[in-house]
Amino acid sequence: MSALFDVLTENIDEFGGGLWVTLRLVGGAFVIAIVVGTFVAALRIAPSAWLRRLGGIYVETFRNIPLLVLLTLSYAGLRRAGVEIGTWTAGIASLGLYTAAYVAEVLRSGVFAVSKGQIEASLSLGFSYAQTLRRIVLPQAFRTVIPPLGSITIAMIKNSAIVGASIIALGDLLKNARIVQSDTFKTEESFIWAAAGYLVLTVAATIAFRFLERRLAISR
Amino acid sequence: MGYLVDPDNWEWLITARNARFILEGFLVNVQIALIAMVFSLILGLGLALLRLSRARAVSTATGLWIDLWRNLPLILMILYLAIALPEPWRDAYESAAPGFLPDVLQTGRVFAALLALVLYNSAVLAEIMRAGIQSLDRGQGEAAAALGMSYAQRMRLVILPQGLRRMVPATISQLITLNKDTTLVSIIGIQEVMRHGRILTGNNFFGGVQAPLLQVLIFIGALFIVVNLLLSRLSRRLEIRERERTGTTPEPVSGVEDQLAVATAD
Repeated sequence: MSALFDVLTENIDEFGGGLWVTLRLVGGAFVIAIVVGTFVAALRIAPSAWLRRLGGIYVETFRNIPLLVLLTLSYAGLRRAGVEIGTWTAGIASLGLYTAAYVAEVLRSGVFAVSKGQIEASLSLGFSYAQTLRRIVLPQAFRTVIPPLGSITIAMIKNSAIVGASIIALGDLLKNARIVQSDTFKTEESFIWAAAGYLVLTVAATIAFRFLERRLAISR
Repeated sequence: MGYLVDPDNWEWLITARNARFILEGFLVNVQIALIAMVFSLILGLGLALLRLSRARAVSTATGLWIDLWRNLPLILMILYLAIALPEPWRDAYESAAPGFLPDVLQTGRVFAALLALVLYNSAVLAEIMRAGIQSLDRGQGEAAAALGMSYAQRMRLVILPQGLRRMVPATISQLITLNKDTTLVSIIGIQEVMRHGRILTGNNFFGGVQAPLLQVLIFIGALFIVVNLLLSRLSRRLEIRERERTGTTPEPVSGVEDQLAVATAD
C-alpha cells in the first residue's frame, strides 16, 4: 500500500501539474461549449428555416465526427495547410466545439419542454417574442436542462483525456501519468492515480451540478 | 478556403489506391465497432438484470462495477490494458480469434482495445437498459405475476420487450459513440483508418500524389458522419414503425434526458 502512495508523493509535480492542465482544458472548453451551444440552440429554434438548417448541420457534423479526428485536424491538419494554431487553442477549441453540439441539443429539448400554453399566455399578455424568450422560456429551459448538462460536463472531463493522448500531446493528467509510468515502470500505480484524478473531477462536477439543481429547482 | 477546395489538393483521392486504402482502414474500425457492440449489448443486458436483482448484495456490487467503468476515461483504459494485459491473455486471444477476421484484428493488441471498449460500453448500456426497465409501470410486472408467470417469463415476455424498446434511441446514440471511439485504438498502434490516413500523408505512399493531411482528415470525418447519420436514421425509423404498429406514442421516460445525455455525450 505504501508503494502506491510513494508513486504519488515522488511524482507529485507530474500528477499535480497534469491535473492543473486538465482542469484548465476542461474550464476553457466548458466556456466555449456553453457559449457556442447556446448560439447553435438559438439557431435551431430560429423562425427562419435556413438558420434552423444551419444549426442542424453544425449539430450533425460535430456530434458524428470522432473527437480524435477534430483534434488531429485542428492541430496537424491546419499546420500542414499553413495555419499555425497552438496546442492549447487546438485542444480547447476541439473539445469545446465538439461538446457544444451536445449542449445545443439539450438546450433545444429544454426549450421544447416549456409548455406552449405559457408562451401563448405570455404573448397574449403583450410580451414581445424576445421578452417571452428571455423572461418566460429560457429561465425554465435552463433549469430543466441542468441534470443533462451535468452529464455532458462529466463526459467532457473524460473526453479531455483524449487531448493529451492525441498528436496535440498537452501534458494533461493522463499524459503525465504515462510519463511517470515510462520513467518508473510502476504501471498500476501510475494509472490508478490518473484514474483517481479523473474521478475527483467528475465527482466534483456531479456535486456542483446537484447543488445548482437544488438551488434552481422549480417546485411543482 | 482556396486551399481547401483546390482540386490539386483532392487529386490524391482519385489517385492510385489511396481512397481504397482509407476505406480498408475504415473497415477495420467498423469491424471493431461491430464486435464490441455485440458483446457490449449482451453483457450490458446481463449487468442491467443483475443490477435490478432483489438480492441487495448482488445489486450493490453490480452497481459499483458499472459506476467504476462508466466513470473512467475510455482512453485511459485502452492505454492501460495495452500495456498491462497479461501475455497469456493475449496469446489466448490470438489463438482463439476466428480465422475469417483480417490479420489486423488477430493481434493481442486488439484484444486490449476490445476489452476496454466492451467494459466501458457494457456499463453505459446497462444503465440505459436499467432506466428503461425501471420506467415501466409496476403494474405490468405485478399483473404478469398475478397471471402465474415465473420471474423468467415475466422478464422475457412482458418487461424486457417494453422496457428495452423505450430505450432504443438512447442505445443507438451510445452505439454511435462507440463507433467514434474506435478511432482511439489508433493510439495504441492498431492499423485502422487514422493510421492509414497518416501513412498516406507521410510520404508518397502509392507514388504520384502526396495526400494533404487536412483533406485526408476531412474525408475520414465524412465517412464517420455518413455511417453515424445512417444509424440515427435507423433509430428514428424504428421509433416511427413502433408507433404505427402499436398505435401509441411512446411514453416519455422520466430521467431519460439525463440517460440520453450520458449516452450521447461521451
